Amino acid sequence: MKAKKVSNAIRLTTEDKVVNGVAIFIGLFTFLVTVYPIYYCLIYAFSDGTMAMAKQIYLFPTSPTLDNFRAVLTDKLLVNSFLISVARTATAVVTSVAFTALTAYALTRKELVGRRIYSMIAMFTMYFGGGVIPTYLLYRSLHILNTFSVYILPGLLSVYNMLLMMAFFRDIPESLVESAQLDGANELKILTRIILPLSTPILATIGLFVGVGAWNDWYTAAYFINDQDLMPMSTILMKLVSAADAARKAREMLADAGGGAGMVKKGTTSVSIQYATMLVSIIPVMCVYPFVQKYFVKGIMVGAIKA
Amino acid sequence: MAAEKVGVAPRGGDPQHSSSRRWIRFKRQIPYQLMILPALIFLIIFAYIPIAGLVIAFQDYSLSTSYFNNPWVGMKHFQAFLKDATFWSAFRNTIQLSLLRMFLVFPMPIILALALNEIPALKFKKTVQTCSYFPHFMAYVVVAALWKDILGNTGLVNNFLRQIGAIQDPISFWTDPAKFKILATLVDMWKGTGWNAIIYFAAISGINNELYEAARIDGAGRFSQIRYITLPEIMNTIIIMFILSIGGLVSGNLSISQLLGNAFTKPESYIIEYYTLEVGLGTMRYSYATAVGMFQSVISVILVLLANFFSNKYQDVGLF
Repeated sequence: MKAKKVSNAIRLTTEDKVVNGVAIFIGLFTFLVTVYPIYYCLIYAFSDGTMAMAKQIYLFPTSPTLDNFRAVLTDKLLVNSFLISVARTATAVVTSVAFTALTAYALTRKELVGRRIYSMIAMFTMYFGGGVIPTYLLYRSLHILNTFSVYILPGLLSVYNMLLMMAFFRDIPESLVESAQLDGANELKILTRIILPLSTPILATIGLFVGVGAWNDWYTAAYFINDQDLMPMSTILMKLVSAADAARKAREMLADAGGGAGMVKKGTTSVSIQYATMLVSIIPVMCVYPFVQKYFVKGIMVGAIKA
Repeated sequence: MAAEKVGVAPRGGDPQHSSSRRWIRFKRQIPYQLMILPALIFLIIFAYIPIAGLVIAFQDYSLSTSYFNNPWVGMKHFQAFLKDATFWSAFRNTIQLSLLRMFLVFPMPIILALALNEIPALKFKKTVQTCSYFPHFMAYVVVAALWKDILGNTGLVNNFLRQIGAIQDPISFWTDPAKFKILATLVDMWKGTGWNAIIYFAAISGINNELYEAARIDGAGRFSQIRYITLPEIMNTIIIMFILSIGGLVSGNLSISQLLGNAFTKPESYIIEYYTLEVGLGTMRYSYATAVGMFQSVISVILVLLANFFSNKYQDVGLF
């Protein structure tokens, strides 16, 4: 593709220009459509809610304020849910990556008798499962409903992630393992001292997958948790949105009836607080994203080429 | 454990040691089997017990008993839901949303990957790529809330259209059932296109450059290069991804349905998963809901197998 660029620089045919034009247009369009809504979320969260409601904002916040964030950070439920999200994400990443790595390593060892059967047992679950009701009943009889463990235990192993990891482990030269074995290292030591340090890209990728999955999951808490204090931010946000929907509808109805004008007090609105909450829930992902980005692209590409 | 290779060979012909040799081999297996054991237990508990739990679809299950000692009722629940109009409306919505996903959402990542591959400015290309992944990492809850507000009655789009005088009254995006499916599909597209393009970027970057060079020497233009090199080279990837998506024909996305849908659009947003949860966990008809879920998973397995069979037959690409 480098050669192509050189020839581009030398002479551009009409066809080249058309292709470049269309490609750049699609790229620009994708960029704007992706970035602008997120940017809009950002400027709304920093805007005065009533002002933003009175006059639509497009590019800059109106009467910039931190009130929306103050409202989020003083809300006990939101702060608690944020901490729950952090706790479940951190726990899930550590436990799931460790468990997946152990299993993937064992399955790539040629010495393991029954490797094929074990792989088949695992792969089968990718295509067929019991569904939500038997799963719910299982959690019920395990007594993990409405506990923190319902976030962690079922996610310990994902077969898909395991396959990605196995593809990566297979590329590590066997001679490294063999020489360690000759030195008398046991399997656990080989895994933690040799295999894992060489596998940072895939560990980061799978850590990211698990982390993002845990951070964004609203479903588990919506169906398997009753206790408000155990609910993560995504589930609380979902409830907030439907509540805000209802509130907005009520306000619009009031406004239609002619009595709504005096109802809105200056400063924050349910919409502006909602945007601030959304931003707070995106920020951790945004912070981690640039650092793991290079890994996950590499990791997933290795997996994609192998799979 | 390389010692195994060294140690076993000389003793191989000695029958007297066969039992102790077996013992040694068994002992060597212990660490490996121990490493796989936790995963095996995990899969049995969290994957196979729920599969075994499917038997309650053929029983009248009640919470006071266990999976296996309930009265057997045969296909009663299957017959019941197949006669239920609500189920069929959920079924129809699920299929329609999946078809939209397969024919509108599916090609987008391919187009994006092909387009970005043609962009001459590397920096710009990388920036677009990096940004386009990002929505994948946003919670569906956030994405849904964002688009619900932007397309809301007093949201960005309606306000803008009113300001430029294009419309008088706001367009009701999310309360009009007729618009739900296409809007939900667009939101899905927004969230997933960049991320799903990664696999095609990978496939394209794996293409041998000599092919392009040879084509250029033969006088092929950029269009011909896309048409006769890039596309055919990533065709296998496209087919595999398509096969995988066929299995999802009867599965819906609960996030779309529950987070973007509302009371107004329920006739269009109600999908099988939603139905299962509502009758199962909502009204506690566990056996009935399990029957619905089982029907759904069996169909998707059959679809995956069929799709795989046909692609093996005609294209020599398959999953297994």
